[in-house]
Amino acid sequence: MLPLLLGPSVLLIAVFVIAPAVYGIYLGFTNTQLTGFAARDPDFVGLDNYQNLLTSDEFLGSLGHTAQFVFFSAIIGQTILGMAAALLLRKKWLRGKGLFGAAILLPMVVPEVVASLTWASVLSPRDEGTFNRLIGLFGGASAAPLQEAPMLSIIIVNIWRGIALAMIMFQAALEDVPDELIEAARVDGAGAMRVFRYVTLPLIRGPVFLYLLLTTITTVGVFGLVYFLTQGGPGSATQLTSIYIYQHAFQYSQIGLGSAASVILLALLLVLGLTYVRLSKVEV
Amino acid sequence: MQRNRVFPAVTAAALAVGMLAACSDSDDGTSGPVTIKLLEYQQARADVVEKLIPRFESAMAEQGKDIQVELVTDPLTDDQFRTKITQQFHSGTAPDVVDMGGSHVTGFAGAGYLLQLDEYLNEWPTWEKYYSAVKQKAEQVDGHYYSLPHEASVQSLFYRKDVLEEMGIDTSQPQTWDELIGRLKKVTAETGKPSIVIPAGTAWGAGTWSEGFLPIVAGTDSTFYDREAGKWTLESDGLSATFDLYAELTKAGLLPTQALLNPNPWEPTKYKQFPEGTLPVAAQGTWGWRYDWGPNGAAPIKNVKDKVATWNYPALTPGGEPYSISGGGYNYGVNAETENPDAAVELVKWLSSDKAAAEQLTAIGAAAPHPGISDVEPYKSQPTLLDAEAKLEDSIVAPEGDGNTRVSQAVQSATESILLGKADGAEAASAFAQDAAELLGENLVAK
Repeated sequence: MLPLLLGPSVLLIAVFVIAPAVYGIYLGFTNTQLTGFAARDPDFVGLDNYQNLLTSDEFLGSLGHTAQFVFFSAIIGQTILGMAAALLLRKKWLRGKGLFGAAILLPMVVPEVVASLTWASVLSPRDEGTFNRLIGLFGGASAAPLQEAPMLSIIIVNIWRGIALAMIMFQAALEDVPDELIEAARVDGAGAMRVFRYVTLPLIRGPVFLYLLLTTITTVGVFGLVYFLTQGGPGSATQLTSIYIYQHAFQYSQIGLGSAASVILLALLLVLGLTYVRLSKVEV
Repeated sequence: MQRNRVFPAVTAAALAVGMLAACSDSDDGTSGPVTIKLLEYQQARADVVEKLIPRFESAMAEQGKDIQVELVTDPLTDDQFRTKITQQFHSGTAPDVVDMGGSHVTGFAGAGYLLQLDEYLNEWPTWEKYYSAVKQKAEQVDGHYYSLPHEASVQSLFYRKDVLEEMGIDTSQPQTWDELIGRLKKVTAETGKPSIVIPAGTAWGAGTWSEGFLPIVAGTDSTFYDREAGKWTLESDGLSATFDLYAELTKAGLLPTQALLNPNPWEPTKYKQFPEGTLPVAAQGTWGWRYDWGPNGAAPIKNVKDKVATWNYPALTPGGEPYSISGGGYNYGVNAETENPDAAVELVKWLSSDKAAAEQLTAIGAAAPHPGISDVEPYKSQPTLLDAEAKLEDSIVAPEGDGNTRVSQAVQSATESILLGKADGAEAASAFAQDAAELLGENLVAK
């Protein structure tokens, strides 16, 4: 009975997840290309792609950019601001909670392309750009944030987009924290920060690490939001590994190399994921 | 019980009808109507071709051929087109005929996505008359033809004659880049703004290669691509001089670096500042006369023929002379997997001849690839295009070969590092050589 119940999902996973992944790993060992005369007869090249990638400044640079992007936008920005928003929404004295919650949820609801185009308009280097209009009100000269501070710009955009999920997850986790424990800590003279540090946070440790795991995986995979804004530039300033893979596999047609880069990224994510799971002792 | 009998009866009937339909399809397949899908990824091209299709269908009907054409219009940038059509070719879903820039053909032909057209072309009398510069550009490294060029262009430096004359700047043909830079510095000193746009950096995509870098490096004596050996030479005096030129123009504030680093860099430069007259010189192909600045172009310039003129490229290396360069043009490629190759080739030949070609060339602003169109209206009344055609016979053909998209990628990165002020000419040349060698692999690089 059990095989019968599991069969369809196992089949679907095998066809749509495992088979492409295995094929991707195989491609990573070949010099498969989509264009050019070399595309006619792809060869098995062993670990050449991996060797090229791990000695390529461009690829290593893209890993560095990805680490920076994930750390500052997801791990620091989204988590801290999401937690702050969740804690704020628990306050009984806060008025207009619906409006506040909706404002934070809105960036998550908006499609990726719309979000990118909106920010492209906000950060436009032209005088008509929203950002430049704002600083113009205070007498400032026009700026080009996507050229002058590209990494900071995409980090801010990603924080803006990701706070909602953090807030929802932390709100749900905070619901499970018994009010009596907080009251008792307060009676003992603990301030808000100490209550959070020694009572609330240990109790929601599991969900926090689960969120960190999820946001790390999804942020490493962020592509459209950044690609539409900067296409990885200027230069390679915002060339995340996802953009590197897209450019090499599809724009430059080096599917073999792109597949190998994807496998390296997958391996790094697995290591990160296992670390989170171990730290949180969350059962996944 | 009754329902049980009805079901097999309906199934049997459906099968019988299906079999009959299948038989009837196969009977019609050989002599019935043929539908050819034609892809255009530029709106202006789609607009003109759309009007020509009914005439082609009628012409074929007169010859007793029932060929229908389905136009697929998918407006995309060059890079978007290349990425998308590559996936379509690879997955076997590409249209029968694809109209594309000549620089795309090499990669697709190499991969076997395009039909070899040698036999068809040899039997077509017009092919013999094609200008040698056009034929040479269309010939692939294996010596075969995989596309039919239906237009040609000459890459030149377009300048605002009215603006420069008003400023008292010499508008005669500059003999060397030093001479031209001297003039550009005067313009920039007076306006405080950049004075020339040459595609550079990653945001301009393939244009940085075909409209920016290649026309300059091709004018030097250095061999860049050796067709016989099928290999690229990645370090040479010509390459160094070209990167030095970009660095000099950037350092002197003559190039609009900020605009070049933004997405769609052609919009503020070619579509805004050049028409305004605030950026008076632009590296540009023949299509600038119509597609960019013509009355129905992207950014019309009123009386464009009076206000704008062209220079040949000045010499970059010692002993050189000014030259014009064949910038190539669009080609029709036929999908190697098309079920109707004869009909597809019939379509591309028809579109590349006589009135149909004249109308397309005039709408886009391209020179004719063969002499048979110069007396056909409306092309006949386009002096700027006829002038470009006249230059074709003496123009230099830029060398291109297998791996050109990867060399293009390395050029984009290296010129971007100059724009960003992160590299001088020598550093950019060195980074280019290393980057391109990695991307091309040993087999395509000369030792």
